[in-house]
This record gives sequence, structure tokens and C-alpha cells, in this order.
Amino acid sequence: MAENRKKILEMLADKKISVDDAYRLLSAIDSTESGQESTPKTETAGKVKPKYLRVTVLPDPEHEHSQNVDRVNVRVPMSLIRAGIKLTSLIPPEARDKVNGALREKGIGFDVRNMKPEDIEELIGALSDLEVDVVSAKGEKVKVFVE
Amino acid sequence: MNRPPTWMHIKIQGEHRGFGLWLPLFLLLPLALVVLIILSPLILIGVIILWPSGRGKRALFVLRAAYQVFCSLRGLKIDIQGRHQSVYISVV
Repeated sequence: MAENRKKILEMLADKKISVDDAYRLLSAIDSTESGQESTPKTETAGKVKPKYLRVTVLPDPEHEHSQNVDRVNVRVPMSLIRAGIKLTSLIPPEARDKVNGALREKGIGFDVRNMKPEDIEELIGALSDLEVDVVSAKGEKVKVFVE
Repeated sequence: MNRPPTWMHIKIQGEHRGFGLWLPLFLLLPLALVVLIILSPLILIGVIILWPSGRGKRALFVLRAAYQVFCSLRGLKIDIQGRHQSVYISVV
């Protein structure tokens, strides 16, 4: 878009177009740009805030009605996750180092000291796109999603 | 902040016997308040002792955070059915 503007200004400098034409072309570029910007904003506004994190483990459809299978259905409110993450700020500094060390040992380079309330909202917002769907060799279906 | 939950439904089913329980959580809140009022002098002394080390403030935050977690429990549902046992917990 910046190139188009430059071209218009060059054409104006070369007197290939009039000032009015240049103004009209630049206005047209502006309206196109604002239209493109507004589209993702509308999508974000339309996004429903997730309320629950769901974890389900369903048996193989062939054995679904059998009593001899395991089933899991867990629904965790997002507010509980939010409150849980906020609790990390109450962890004493010496314990935080231990937590960080344990996470590093597991290969997770994450510092719990960097957790801020605004990050929590961003994290929960990002969870709305989460969907894990795993089918085991036994035919069990594991689903993790938000609703 | 969410409204505190009112009921907790617990159902545990074993191979031969099981039980179900509706816990009135709304009755726990006045009870917890009474316990808090009774224990408040001890809590206050503890907070004052711990204040110089910076843990007193944290202890106060823990009380608030615990209440927030309690309020956030509303909507929690755990339903696990095994081959011989099943556990169902629901907070409403």
C-alpha cells in the first residue's frame, strides 16, 4: 500500500495526474486499508469468551454401550483456571525458583515470575482456538476443547 | 467475581455399593465466617509476626485467593466412570 501511495505522489510530481485525482486515489487507498483492518477486529469482537475447559475420554464406538469401559467427562470453569493461575503470585520467591528448576528439568523453559494478570487473559483468550483430538490404538477418543 | 456456589453433588458408586450426597455449600459460608471471626485474633497475631518477613501480606492475600477459588468452583463437573467404580462431582 505504501508503494501505491509513492506511485501516486510520483505521478503528481511528474504532473501526470492532477491534485484532485491524487486526492481521490489516496482516499480510495485509505478506505481499502480501513476496510481490511476492520475485518479482523469484527472477528475478534464476535469471538465468544470460553467459559469451560472440557476433557472427555470416550470409549471405542463399538463398545460404547458396554458397562466394561472407562469414560471421563470433566468440565473445568475458566474462572477456576484464572483463579489458579493468579495463585502463582502467592508462591514465595524461594519456592518459585524450585518450581522453575523443576520445569527446566522437564524441558520447559518457563518462568512463573513472569506471569502477569494481563497474560492470563491473553492465555485464556488463546485457549478458545484449542482443540485436541486423540484416538488411541484401542479406539478410545480423547478430546480437550473449550466451550 | 462469581457468586459462591450453593450445592455440591457427590456420587460415588462402587462395585457393590455406593452413595450420593448433596452438600449445601451455602451453609458453609456462614460457618466459615464464624470460624474466621473466632480465629481472627490468632490470624492477626500471625500476620503481625510474619509482616517484617513479607509473608504477613501474603497470608492475607491467601485468604482472599482461597475465597476466589471457592467462588470459581461453580460449574465444575467431574464424571469418571471406570469398569467397577464411578465418581461424579458437580458444583452448582
